[in-house]
Parts: sequence; C-alpha cells; structure tokens
Amino acid sequence: MRFGDILRLCRQNLWRRKSRTILTVLGVIVGCCSIVLMISLGQGINEQNEKMLKSMGDLSIVTVYTNGSYGSGMMMGSGASSSSASSDVKLNDESVESFRALAGVSGVTPVMNYNYNSSARTGAGGRYLYDYVQIMGIDMSQFDQMGFKLKDGALPMREGEVLAGEWLAYDFMDTLKNGEMRETSRGDGCLWNDDTAQCDPEDDPYFKPIGTQLTLTTGANYQGDPYTQNLYGTGSGGGSAGGAGESQNVSVDMRIAGVTVSDYNKGFATSDGIVMDLKSLKELIAKVDPSAAKQRTANYDQVLVKAQDMASVPEVESQIKALGYETSSYEDMRKSLEEQSRAIQLILGGIGAVSLLVAAIGIANTMVMSVTERTREIGIMKALGCYVRDIRVMFLTEAGAIGFLGGLIGCIISAMLSLGINMAGMTYMGGGMASSSGGDGSGSSSDGSIWTMLWQATVGGEDVTRYSVIPWWLYAFAILFATLIGLLFGFGPANKAVKIPALDAIKNSE
Amino acid sequence: MVNPLANGDEREKKMPMAQSNVRAHTRPIIEVRNLRKEYPVEDETVVALERVNLAIPQGQICCIFGESGSGKSTLLNQLAGMEKPTRGGVRIGGVQVSKLSERELAAFRQKHIGFVFQSYNLLPNLTALENVAMPLMFRGVPKDQRERTARAVLKRVGLGHRLTHYPRQMSGGQQQRVGIARAFVTKPEVVFADEPTGNLDSKTKAEVMAMICSFARDFNQTIVLVTHDPQMASYADRIVTLLDGRIVSDRANQPALSSPTSSQSSLTRPQSDITINQGASR
Repeated sequence: MRFGDILRLCRQNLWRRKSRTILTVLGVIVGCCSIVLMISLGQGINEQNEKMLKSMGDLSIVTVYTNGSYGSGMMMGSGASSSSASSDVKLNDESVESFRALAGVSGVTPVMNYNYNSSARTGAGGRYLYDYVQIMGIDMSQFDQMGFKLKDGALPMREGEVLAGEWLAYDFMDTLKNGEMRETSRGDGCLWNDDTAQCDPEDDPYFKPIGTQLTLTTGANYQGDPYTQNLYGTGSGGGSAGGAGESQNVSVDMRIAGVTVSDYNKGFATSDGIVMDLKSLKELIAKVDPSAAKQRTANYDQVLVKAQDMASVPEVESQIKALGYETSSYEDMRKSLEEQSRAIQLILGGIGAVSLLVAAIGIANTMVMSVTERTREIGIMKALGCYVRDIRVMFLTEAGAIGFLGGLIGCIISAMLSLGINMAGMTYMGGGMASSSGGDGSGSSSDGSIWTMLWQATVGGEDVTRYSVIPWWLYAFAILFATLIGLLFGFGPANKAVKIPALDAIKNSE
Repeated sequence: MVNPLANGDEREKKMPMAQSNVRAHTRPIIEVRNLRKEYPVEDETVVALERVNLAIPQGQICCIFGESGSGKSTLLNQLAGMEKPTRGGVRIGGVQVSKLSERELAAFRQKHIGFVFQSYNLLPNLTALENVAMPLMFRGVPKDQRERTARAVLKRVGLGHRLTHYPRQMSGGQQQRVGIARAFVTKPEVVFADEPTGNLDSKTKAEVMAMICSFARDFNQTIVLVTHDPQMASYADRIVTLLDGRIVSDRANQPALSSPTSSQSSLTRPQSDITINQGASR
C-alpha cells in the first residue's frame, strides 16, 4: 500500500468519528500546552536570572581577599579598617604579580578603598555638594585588561585627574536650593512616578562631568561637610566635632578626565564614586594620615582578578585559593541559580508531563475503541489481501496523527498564551525585574507601540522581562514528543488490530 | 526471511492462468487432499470435515451445497486459507495454501483470489468506487489508475451512476453488485462466494448469480460457490454436496442460466475432470 493511500484512509477514518477525534486531540492539546507553558515559565526564570547576573556586572571577575580583610573588602568604604588584622597571607604587590602569572588570568588590579570620610564640592563657590563620596584606587594600566569601560572622556594621564562613576553627577545636591537633587532612572528607561502612574522625564545633572573641577575635602577625623550635618539635624553634636577636626582637614583639587561605565562587580565607585590611580590614592592617604599610611598602602583590601572568560573562572579561583587566599565570584551564585531553575523546570515539566500522560491514555482509549469497532473492517481488508504491516501502519498513523495534531495546535495555543502572559507582565509589572539593573538600557519601553510590545514579548529584548520564554526547540520537541506519545500509545491497539483474523469478516454475523 | 515479492513471481509462473485451456483442464486449479478439520469444543473434539478430496478445474463454477452445519463454510475457510486444516492440504494453482505465512497469504490473496460475501462487507466510509478499488490499493496501484479500472468494472455491473455513493445509500442488491465488482476487479483466478445471495430477494438473486457467472465465463475464472439454496446451486457446472463434514454427492449440472458467450464451454467440460470422493482408497 502506498503511504499516500494510508494517509487518505487515516484522514477518512479520523473524520468519520469527528467528535471522538476532536475530543482526543483536545486532550493532547491541553497536555501539550501545559508541558510547553510549564517549561517556558522555567525558561523565563532562566532568562531573568541571566539578566540579573548580567546587571550585576562582569561575571568573569574574581575578587581576592584575605581572611582578615573580608569585612572591609565587602563593605567598601564603611570607614572601619580591618586590613591590619593578622593573617598569614598578605595582599600586596608581590601577590598581585603572582596572580598575574596564573593560567587563565587576563588582568589583575589591586583595589584600594579610601577609608576616610570625604566630601566633594563643585560649581560656583562650591555650590554643589556630594558628601561621603567613595573613592577607589585601581591600577590604571590594567583598566582595559580588567574589563573596565569608559563611557566618556579619557583615562587620567596627568596629576590630579580622576575618573567619575557613571552616575556621580546625579549624587550632587544644590546647597543653595535646600539640597535639591536631579533625578535619573540610572538607565532603566523609566523614572516611575506613583502619583501620575507614568514615567517622569529624566533630568540633566547639574554639571557635565568631563572637565569639571572637584574640590575634595577630607581628613583623618573628618566627619562630613557641615552643610549635610545641619541639613540632617546632627549639627549640634557633629558640628563641634567637625570644627575640632577642621585643622587637620585636607583639600585637594581634582579634574574629572573621564566617566566609567557602572559595574557593581568591580566596585561601587564605578557607579557613584571616584576612581583614581592607585599611586595617587596612596599619596592622598599619606597626606591625610601620615602615621598610618605606611601600613595602609602596603596591603590591599582586595585584588580583582579577571579570568579570560567565564569558563575559566573556576580554574582561576581554585588556583588562587591554593595560594591561601579567599576568593569570591559570581560563579557559585550562577551555578546555584542554574541548579535552582533546573529543579523548578523539572518540577514544572513533570506537572505538564502528567497531563500529557492523561492525554496519551486518551489516545490509547480512542484507538482501542476504534479497533474494536472496526474489527469487521480489518477482517475484510485482510481477506482482500491487505498486508498485516499496512494495517499496523494505518492504526499507528491514526494515533500518531492525533498526537501530531494535538501537538501542533497545542504549540500554537501555547505561543499565544505565552504572548499573553508576557504582554500582561509587561503591562502590569512594567518590566520590574530590570529595575535593579545599572546597565545602559536604551529606555524605549515607555514609548513602545503595541507592535514593538508584541515583538518584545515574542523575542525578548535588552530591557524587557519575559515571564514565559519558548525557545524554538521547545516547539519542535513538543510536536515530536506528542507524536511519539501518540505512536507509543497507539502501538498496543495497532497490534490488537493486526491479530484480528480474516475469518471474522466472512462469518455471516451482521 | 523469504522475499515475498520473489515468491509471488514464482507463484505466478506456476499459475496456469495465461496458459491454454487444454492445459488448464489437465491440471485442476484447486486440489484438496484428504482434508480433515477438528474443532475443540469444551472437552470434546468436533470433526467438521473428514477425508475431503476435491479437484476443481479452471473455469468451473463449482457449488458446495449443504445444509447449515454440514461443514461447507468450514471447507471454504480451508480453501481460502482462512484457517489451517488439522490434516491434509489445499493447493491452489500448485501452491500449498495451508503452508503459507500470513504475509505470503496476503500477497497470494491480492493476486489470485476474490471474495463475495453474504453480507456484502463493504467498508462503510468508502464510496462504491473506493470499495471496488480497494484490492488494487492494497497492491500499491496509483489512485487514478486503480479508479479507472474500478470504474470500468462498476459500469459492467450496472452501477456506473453510483460511483460516489456510500454503501448505506444503496440497496442490498446494489451493494452486492459492488461486492462482486470488488471481487473481480483484480481478475483473480479463483473467486470464493459464500452465500452471495443469502440476504437478497429472489429477483435480485437471479441477477446477482447471472452476473457472477458472466464474469467467470468471460475471464475463464473459477468460482467456488457455497450455498444451502438449491436454486442457487442450479447455476453451477457442478454440485458437491456435503453432509456432516463428508462429501456425499458430486455431480455435474447443466447450468440453469449462464452467460451466452461461454455456456458452450461449460457444457463440454469432460466429466473425467471431476474427482469423485475417493477418501476411502487413501
């Protein structure tokens, strides 16, 4: 028998018992939808995790610290100094060199945090103030190797030049306008306003960072700018302390040569602080606190090691650990997140699989009934010389067709449901997950038309959150799986059909 | 595993279909030797057929006549290879039908055997045309080609205007004519007809029988007709009567009505071709 003829007979037979076929297919559709949607939700979690990790910064950075420096290393600029804590291994220039020699390392820089209070003023008469500014010192020669990025301007070349964090200019307040600040969404694209339920327009900062002269006031016992202390009502006590320390305070002028791209994994200062060359920072510390300078500048709070790629992170980490240092990277987090989402996917997929199993039993039931009803027909066909193989193929084709149809329609419906979930998510949640991102999103979701929204809900985008993600292979897998399930559960009934003897046909029982 | 296609070819060579009538008469197309069939019924064994010997030459319309329970249907089942005999064998065109595998049997039926059933046994979801074309479909004949053949046969049985009707839209007589068309569409050497007129009124009976006989005469086909109706038996060239699983009478018959084109040949068929029951001698 030709396969085309088998297909034609299969279509006729399925169509003959329309309602039963439709109901069975419906079962498969529900099963297929549930399995596809469940897995797609798991994929959505995956995608969100990946976005979250990306927004946290460079995943190939390994942070190295010693046992003692952990506290200050993690809580940068907290003012507490614990680098003096006793430990066998020290993070100094020597260890930096040893890290550089390791396999899989593309860049190393010490990170030194300035542990004294300091405030920056700029503008006419020091009108704009940023108190408790954070300062980080890195090896500027390693800037590119470490994966730091300049958003604007150039690396500091001359004495007194520094880099500003990406959003530094927004951290200044106007002392003449009661401490008013300019607002930014920090790359989210939307400055949400609860009152108007709309995105507010972005402000420009008070000044353009590049080329701006900052005056930094700091000292070993500096308690912050008097203006802030008055503003927050701590003036009475703090003011006198500030006054007492005034004599030891140091003022330094610096010029912003460039702006870094925000990357929390490389340090808070890349976002909201000042990044300067390690040597200049050491000089500054020597000026501010000459007594402690020697000890402070010899050892580093932490050293950042950049692996060539994400895959070599574990190797680099284990090598550094073997040298006796503590390390941290996002590798562990990424792994545990991955495991978590895999577990969730398995659970969700299992739930979906149960309903597909129910549908498969439905297919088997339909086929068993079909065989029973058609016993006589099968006998006739055998008597007229139909091969046993053809009869088997015929029934398998019918079962497979039910599975295939259910899978196909199920996939189409899942695609629409997934689109609906994403659209609803985008409308009511406003891409909430991305709000923690400090990345440089283009901020287009607010002005997107319905078509761009549809497009984004379907294929995703830089700054959209999809709750349900269906990769193309999931469609292929679902259709194939449904068809296979149909074939598998049609096998028993088909074998039953094959065993019907031709004799049944010529028995004269009507 | 044996290649069934190669086997089929071989078998075709053995089949005397395309050979001269003279040779066909010398070698019977159906040979039954010492056939015995038992059925286990509870603890006992019921003997349905015993020491049946039969030889049917090509082109003969042979009626197996008997009351119900005489074993005539069982004999038909053995002849067509539907059941395996307990002892003895059946040869059709030199092929031991009882020894064929299921697949070989299917191929054999496709090529050499046609069936006309009492209850028509048309597939309800296929049109008349599709029902007639079905045996050709099993052979893998392309759709337009097999439907052309089927259309011609349906015209011959007088249903040229009912091609796209479904069985439920036709009368019993029409349905049986479709059944006849289906049995003859492959031009088989042997057609088994099991009470083909059992469900029909007497006028239609005559039409249907005439039609079967006319096909058989035109293509020199062998018909094995199983019936309990003496009127039907009268159409045959030869009447073999069964009683309690044994052949009790085997006689030539002057067909009551046969197609004018070949009635002569049936009359001149030599008596010697017919093997009388010789079970006792074996």
